[in-house]
Amino acid sequence: MIRVDLSRCTGCRRCEAACAFFHTGRINPELARLKVVHLYETGIDGPVVCQQCEERFCMVCPENALSLGSNGEVICSPTVCTLCGACEKACPIGAVTQFQGFVYICDLCGGDPKCVKACTEKAILFEEGERPSFENIHKATRGMNPQERRHFYLSRLGQKLREEWAARSPAEESQDLDKT
Amino acid sequence: MTRLRYGYGGRLLRVNLTRRTFEIEEIDPGWMKSVIGGRAANTRRLDEELDPGCDPLGPDNPLIFGVGPLTGSLLPASAYYTVTAKSPLTGILGDSAAGGQFGAEMKMTGFDQIIISGRADAWLYLWITDEGVEFIDCPGYAGLGVASTTSSIRKAHRDYSVQVAGIGAAGENEVLYSAIVSSGNRVNGRTGMGAVMGAKRLKAVAVRGKRSLEVADTLGFLEQTRNLERAILEHCEYDKRYRLGTTMLMQDLNGIGILPTNHFQEGVCDYVDEVSGQTLAERYKVKNKACYNCNLHCSRYYVTNEYEAEGPEFETLCSFTSRLGCRDLAFALEMNAVLNQAGLDSISTAEVIGWIMECQEKGLVKPEDLDGLELRWGDTEAVRSTVDMIIHRRDLGDRLAQGATRLSRDFGEEAQKLVMQVKGLDIICGDPRGIKAYGLTYAIASRGADHLRAEPYFELTDLQDEARERFGTEKAAMRMEEEGKAVLVTYSEKIALLTDCLTMCKNIGLCMDILDLENAASLLTAGTGVDYTAASLEEVLGEAVQRDRRLNRRFGIRRADDTLPERFRKESLPTGPTQGSIVDIERMVEEYYRLHGWEDE
Repeated sequence: MIRVDLSRCTGCRRCEAACAFFHTGRINPELARLKVVHLYETGIDGPVVCQQCEERFCMVCPENALSLGSNGEVICSPTVCTLCGACEKACPIGAVTQFQGFVYICDLCGGDPKCVKACTEKAILFEEGERPSFENIHKATRGMNPQERRHFYLSRLGQKLREEWAARSPAEESQDLDKT
Repeated sequence: MTRLRYGYGGRLLRVNLTRRTFEIEEIDPGWMKSVIGGRAANTRRLDEELDPGCDPLGPDNPLIFGVGPLTGSLLPASAYYTVTAKSPLTGILGDSAAGGQFGAEMKMTGFDQIIISGRADAWLYLWITDEGVEFIDCPGYAGLGVASTTSSIRKAHRDYSVQVAGIGAAGENEVLYSAIVSSGNRVNGRTGMGAVMGAKRLKAVAVRGKRSLEVADTLGFLEQTRNLERAILEHCEYDKRYRLGTTMLMQDLNGIGILPTNHFQEGVCDYVDEVSGQTLAERYKVKNKACYNCNLHCSRYYVTNEYEAEGPEFETLCSFTSRLGCRDLAFALEMNAVLNQAGLDSISTAEVIGWIMECQEKGLVKPEDLDGLELRWGDTEAVRSTVDMIIHRRDLGDRLAQGATRLSRDFGEEAQKLVMQVKGLDIICGDPRGIKAYGLTYAIASRGADHLRAEPYFELTDLQDEARERFGTEKAAMRMEEEGKAVLVTYSEKIALLTDCLTMCKNIGLCMDILDLENAASLLTAGTGVDYTAASLEEVLGEAVQRDRRLNRRFGIRRADDTLPERFRKESLPTGPTQGSIVDIERMVEEYYRLHGWEDE
């Protein structure tokens, strides 16, 4: 699955541009299956992408248009999908979106993700890993739209990184003060 | 071709703030082909539509936002957008570009240019989508910093993909060198575009587009962008620029004795290690940041005990360290955060403060002339409170908000000569006595003292064989020489303009020598489907340089304005590797005019 190392993300959106381009031949963040969010007030940037959560909240499709692929990815059948919006509404982190008659969710590019190649920072990794539970986030993001959910999810992920930053900088300064 | 389909958005948005109306027009492909896009397109628009006599802070001054044909595409390092208007600071052509994410999002609205005229009856922001404009009153945003304004707008629209270019308190108060800021900390700093926005009662421009960008020759374009990406990744300066960005210039300029210290009185700063980009990276940087789709990631995010922000770039770092004699790096990082959120140009702010410092040191300006203000080198407390007065135009801040050039007119000739400016724009952080082609660039640049109009980085390379081949003399690659510099500048001003038209980053396009007329022509042809050749580009760029000149002539600029402050022409630096050198600016300007075939008057 796709893993994101927030500490390495610069917010360049090369992953997003590559995703849209290699799937559609066009550039438009709406056409990407992962979405980069910039939290300018806190310096946190990062792509939000399907984490193959334990609960599989999105698999509520009334038409059975969604199925799981061999890499655990969610596959949407465009011929069965009626664009009812149930999966978009269900994803607690806003990683499923509907745009201009199509459902966008990470398909892992069939096992060779283009976003991973586009990232020169190694902030996006394709690797095996534990599937997270989004039960708490699901509760916390009720009533939010996908934009707000991505924002909420990234802000929460960023908290840990910001604690690391805060712990790092003043410690070094106080050491320097000791020297002088 | 009847309309611009590939690369370009192909549409122009006209906004009238007085009437709260907007119009959408198709852009004539022939018109656009003759300017490419970006800065040249903005300047042409200004030239066509501006009454040169208008009050820059009045309703008739159009404020033009522009992107390029390939902004927001897969072309790396092409994230900029340019804002153009008549400058309230200089009274001539004003423009300023910024990177980040705003340009790419503006492209997705399908508007290559947004022209904003008139003046709102109450503070508002523009909500711009593919469909057009909503005028949204925002009385509660008064005094808000740029990041808070951005968050508020995103929250109100329940959309976090929105990009916002806004002003802070400085722009609201029409400080003549106030800035527009987007992506939290990306600054259109120069020539007071923030004041133009403030005078229009326009707090912010929010863009949110859902159009798709297509290129004409998908595979050809992809191959060329990959070549450029490789050239960037494999460049010998990649690691250094990745780690330090432009802050690398603190040590580099100090090493050749041209780091402005105590307001250009010296070129060597003996405490540079305390305020260098390296020290910043070691102590305060927490991660790299990048503009849209860039693979260099040369920007950085830093955290100090009290402040955090993106940046600073070299100009801001030098402006609030050596230029003012300040040896406290954390203070400079504080100033970067404060200026960005209030929307103030760091170079012009440091010039007004540095000029007072020098004049007070020399006894040319007395504290009693300035309501008792005393400014001494390195007095960070006094700098901090002065900046705050300027942002809010409080007390003396109201006078300082005019900028150093206008303020100096209250004083004698000796004091006036000490303002480091050309055509009313304050000089950047780089002493021209040790970089002569840059000196020429400051003198002739169409927005006033500025390096970005030509960025003749080549003169620092010492590539003498290449210099002979390209510019006819090895001296073009020797920084202390004047010979060959006009030839270099007439070349690099075209490439600089080309990067501005493509909204490409100059560090990459020009300093890293990634872009030339040939590869730009193929990129543009593959990207836009408009047939460009190296020759046609050269013609377009040449014409655009002439247009800048003609426009400034209408503003009253003459040959005599193409010069440098007396200090650089007559006094030499006292110590260091540039010691003893002065700039023979007349000789270089004369040759520059000759190469252009311009008459002296």
